[in-house]
Amino acid sequence: MKLNRMIASIASAAVYIGGVAWGAAEVPVANDSPLGRTVQTCGTCHGTNGRSVSPTFPNLAAQTAPYIEAQLKAFKDQTRADPDAQAYMWGMAAQLSDAQISELADYFSKQPAPAGGKSGGPAAIARGKQVFEEGVPARQIPPCASCHGAHGEGLATFPRLAGQHAPYLLKQILVIQNALRNAPVMHGIVKDLSRDQMQAVVAYLESM
Amino acid sequence: MACAACHTVFPELTPFGREFKLNGYVLDNIKQIKGITTENRETLSLNAVPPVSVMLQISYTHTGKALPDSAVSGALAKDGDVLFPQQASIFYAGKIADNFGAFIQLTYDGVGDSFGFDNADIRYARHFSFGGTTDADKHDVVVGVTVNDGPTVQDVWNTTIAWGFPFSSSSVAPTPIASAALDGGIGQSAAGIGVYAWIDDSIYAEFSLYGAALRGGTHPLDSQQSSVVHGASPYWRFAYERRWDRNSLSVGTYGIVAKLHPGGGLPLQGPTDQFTDVAGDLQYQFIGEDHLFTVLATYIHENQKLDASFLSTAAQNPSDTLKTLKLAGEYSYQRTIGGSLGLFDTTGSTDAARYPASDPADPTAVAVAYQGSASNKPDSRGYVAEVNYLPWLNTKLQLQYVRYSKFNGGSNNYDGFGRNASDNDTLYLLGWINF
Repeated sequence: MKLNRMIASIASAAVYIGGVAWGAAEVPVANDSPLGRTVQTCGTCHGTNGRSVSPTFPNLAAQTAPYIEAQLKAFKDQTRADPDAQAYMWGMAAQLSDAQISELADYFSKQPAPAGGKSGGPAAIARGKQVFEEGVPARQIPPCASCHGAHGEGLATFPRLAGQHAPYLLKQILVIQNALRNAPVMHGIVKDLSRDQMQAVVAYLESM
Repeated sequence: MACAACHTVFPELTPFGREFKLNGYVLDNIKQIKGITTENRETLSLNAVPPVSVMLQISYTHTGKALPDSAVSGALAKDGDVLFPQQASIFYAGKIADNFGAFIQLTYDGVGDSFGFDNADIRYARHFSFGGTTDADKHDVVVGVTVNDGPTVQDVWNTTIAWGFPFSSSSVAPTPIASAALDGGIGQSAAGIGVYAWIDDSIYAEFSLYGAALRGGTHPLDSQQSSVVHGASPYWRFAYERRWDRNSLSVGTYGIVAKLHPGGGLPLQGPTDQFTDVAGDLQYQFIGEDHLFTVLATYIHENQKLDASFLSTAAQNPSDTLKTLKLAGEYSYQRTIGGSLGLFDTTGSTDAARYPASDPADPTAVAVAYQGSASNKPDSRGYVAEVNYLPWLNTKLQLQYVRYSKFNGGSNNYDGFGRNASDNDTLYLLGWINF
C-alpha cells in the first residue's frame, strides 16, 4: 500500500512537473472539478466542446438542454434502446446522477454551435429544404421546422438539428421509423418518409 | 460498453479504444467504492465490479509437410495439431484509482503448459490545456506515465509487434529464424517506464527506457540467461493522427537502441551486442456503418553491432543489418464477416554463425534442421491470408493460411536437409472467444 502510494505520488509529480514545464495549466473544467471529469469522458467521443469528429457520435454543442437531459435519462433507464444507444450510451450513462445530467446538459447546451455549411450537393439540399420547411403534404408529413424551429435550432425537448452530422441524423430517422428508438410522435411523422427524402433532409440539416 | 466502442474487430482498436488506453484505462462509468479522509481527500476510488474478462483460443495447425520427430531420427511428428486451449487469458483493463489504471493479462500457454504473466501496461494520465486565449482555441494534452513489460505493449496503433497483424498465429508451426529487436526480439524480456504526451488527439510523443526483466530462470540474472538487456535501452515513439469523418490516418516512427548481453553460457559482462532499430509505420482506418477497412504498414531497419557475439564467434560479421517490412489490409462487413491479406518480407546480412545450418553428424541438430539456413541468410517472404467470421461480436472463427515463398534464406531445400519454404506453409484454424 505504501509502495503503491509512493509510485502514485512519483507518477503524479512527474506528470505535474512535465505539464508545468510545458507551460500548461490544468483545464479548470476538465479535470479537477467533478463536472470537468465527466465532460472529459463525454468529450472522448463528442468533443469536450461538444463538436465531434466521427458522424457515429452526434454534436452536442448548442443542443437544447432539456433534450440532452431527457436523452441521458433515457439512456440511463434504458428506454432509449437503438443499437448505438445500447452499444455506447447505456454503459456511459448508467451511473450519472440527476444532478450530473443537469450539469452536463447545461454545459453542452452553452457551447458554440458547430460550424455547419457542409455541402451534401445543391440538388439534395434544395429538396431537403423543401421537406424541412413544407413537409410532404401528399403523405401527410408535417414540416420539420414546425417543431424543430425555422432554423433547425430546436426548442426544449425538440432537438437542435442544424449542423448535425448527416449520417447520424439519417440513422436516427431510420431507427425511429423501424421503432428501435422509442419516439412515438416522431415515429408517426417519419413512418412514410422515403429514403430519398431522408437523405435530402439530413443533407440540408448538415449544411445549416 | 459494447466491444464495438473500443474495437473494429478485436483486438484492433478504434480511435475511442486508443483514447481509452491513452487516458490510462479510466474512462468508465461503473459504480465506485469510495474512500475519503475527514479533510475530504479521496483515498480510494475503485470499480465495484472489476473490469475482468476471459479470453480463450482453441486452434488447429496443419503445415505443408510434417516436422521431424524431436527424438526418433528419420521419423515425422504428427501433422495436424489441436491445442485446447492454445491460450487462455484473464484480463483486468480498467481503473485502479482516479487517473490511474491498468491493462494486465495473465495467460495459460497450451504449449508450455504454464500459467504466467503476459502483456501488462500500468498508466497514470492527466489532462492539461495550454495556449489559446479562449476555451475554444486552447490545446488539450494528455500527459501520462506508463510502466509496461515490453516495447510496443503500450502502443495504441496496430502497426507494432505487440498488437500487430496477424493478431493471432499458430504457436506450433515453424517461424522464420530472424526478427528485429522491436519485432519480437526483445519481447517481454524487458520492462520499461515511459512518459508520453498526446496533444489535441493528433500528436503523440513518447520516450521510454527499458531494462532487463526476464521472468523465471536463474535470478539474479547470470550467464544461464540469454539476450539480457544491458543497462537501460532508450525507446521512442512519435506519431501524427488525423481524424476526419469516419476515417483516421496515422503516420509515425518508433525505435530503440538496445544493448544486449548474449548470455547462454557467457557472463553478463564485457562487450555487448547493440541493436539499433529505426521504424516507420502507417495506419488507416475507415469505420463505416457496414464496411470497415484498415491498412497497416510498418518497416523496421535494424543495425546490429555485434561486439560480443563476434568475439565469442556467435556472429561471423562484426555488424549485420536486418530489414523487416509488413503490410496488411483488412476488411469487415458489419463486424461479422471479413478477411485480411498481409505481406511480410525480411532481408538481412549473410552470417554463417547467426543463421547457421544444422550439422548432419549431430542427430539432435538434425531434428531441428528446419530452423536453420543453408545459405546463412535470414531472408523470409510470404503472405498471410485470413477469413474471419464473428457470429457474435465476442467470438471470432478464423481460417488463416500462411504461405512462404522464401524461408530462412531459400525457397527450395532452404535448410540443406531437403525442406522447402512451402513445406512450412501453415493452415491455421482458430476459435477465439472473449467474455
